[in-house]
Amino acid sequence: MSCGKPHDTDCHQVLAELWLFLDNECNRERRELLQRHLDECGPCLEEYGLEEHLKALLARKCGGDHAPDALKQRLRESIREIMMRQAVLGAEVTVHQTEDGTIVEVSSVESHAWLSTER
Amino acid sequence: MGVVGLMSTDSAGPAQSGQLQPSPEETLVESNSEEQAPAVKSDIEGEAAETAEQRTARFERDAMPLLDQLYAAALRMTRNPADAEDLVQETYLRAYGAFDSFREGTNLRAWLYRILTNTYINGYRKRQRQPVAQPSEEITDWQLAQAAQHSSSGLRSAEMDALDRLPDTDVKEALSQLPDEFRMAVYLADVEGFAYKEIAEIMGTPIGTVMSRLHRGRKQLRDMLTGVARERGFLRDAEVAS
Repeated sequence: MSCGKPHDTDCHQVLAELWLFLDNECNRERRELLQRHLDECGPCLEEYGLEEHLKALLARKCGGDHAPDALKQRLRESIREIMMRQAVLGAEVTVHQTEDGTIVEVSSVESHAWLSTER
Repeated sequence: MGVVGLMSTDSAGPAQSGQLQPSPEETLVESNSEEQAPAVKSDIEGEAAETAEQRTARFERDAMPLLDQLYAAALRMTRNPADAEDLVQETYLRAYGAFDSFREGTNLRAWLYRILTNTYINGYRKRQRQPVAQPSEEITDWQLAQAAQHSSSGLRSAEMDALDRLPDTDVKEALSQLPDEFRMAVYLADVEGFAYKEIAEIMGTPIGTVMSRLHRGRKQLRDMLTGVARERGFLRDAEVAS
């Protein structure tokens, strides 16, 4: 259905680009053109309004979860521990994933060189 | 400083030559310690611009505040808190391990999301072994499909009101029903507000694919939510605009 009025840009085309407009992904020229169409075409504006509404709804309802404090604490500790081990051993750190979870491997390839020269 | 000092043996040598050049800021920070221990610079080359301790401090300062966001995204990806915790933990440990290759001043948030996404796709999703619907992704169809028609006035506002009345859990549930790739594209665009180009980098796909996923994801989501609103009695059949 069209609003029946003549437009510079076809409703069809505007609706095809609605999300680009909504996501701020079109260039300025295109943006102005679409904006002008929306200003004068009620049905397209309404469609735009609904999509905009949906985007805002998702942002409002699907984000904002907080990571558990225990996870934050655990991570800080792990990172500090890796750092200390790296510092002492000059080690390489690799992270693996296994059936049982995450394994952090600290290989100490340079520890011998260090020990021998320091003595 | 002690950190680098410990490593100042001739064993480091050429193995470290692949390091990125330190940014000007890092070089500045390090200028004092260079005077104290001039040998360090030549041994570990670029790496000497930042000690492990400084890098760790930088990681804690810049990356840790993004943990809640990454966790929320992980929760949407894995769809359960235990897996989300594991995924975020692994993401952060990987990120920390690779943090010397991250250039300060570039987009840390996108960088972390990219690691999160890769970790999820390469690890958790395989391990979960859940049947994942793999939608075909024709890049050309997204514009055609979008070329929908207006429906009559009035129905839109009824649909809008109905969607507003849906509880958070319904909206999250609907999002969780989308196929992985669609869900992630929609989440990154609409909840996290990433630009298409950033989403393309995070997901490792061309921008056209991002647009296609977004298009299909949003369309499915809207249909689903309208359906739920109807089930809940917020919307009468005649009011469904599509």
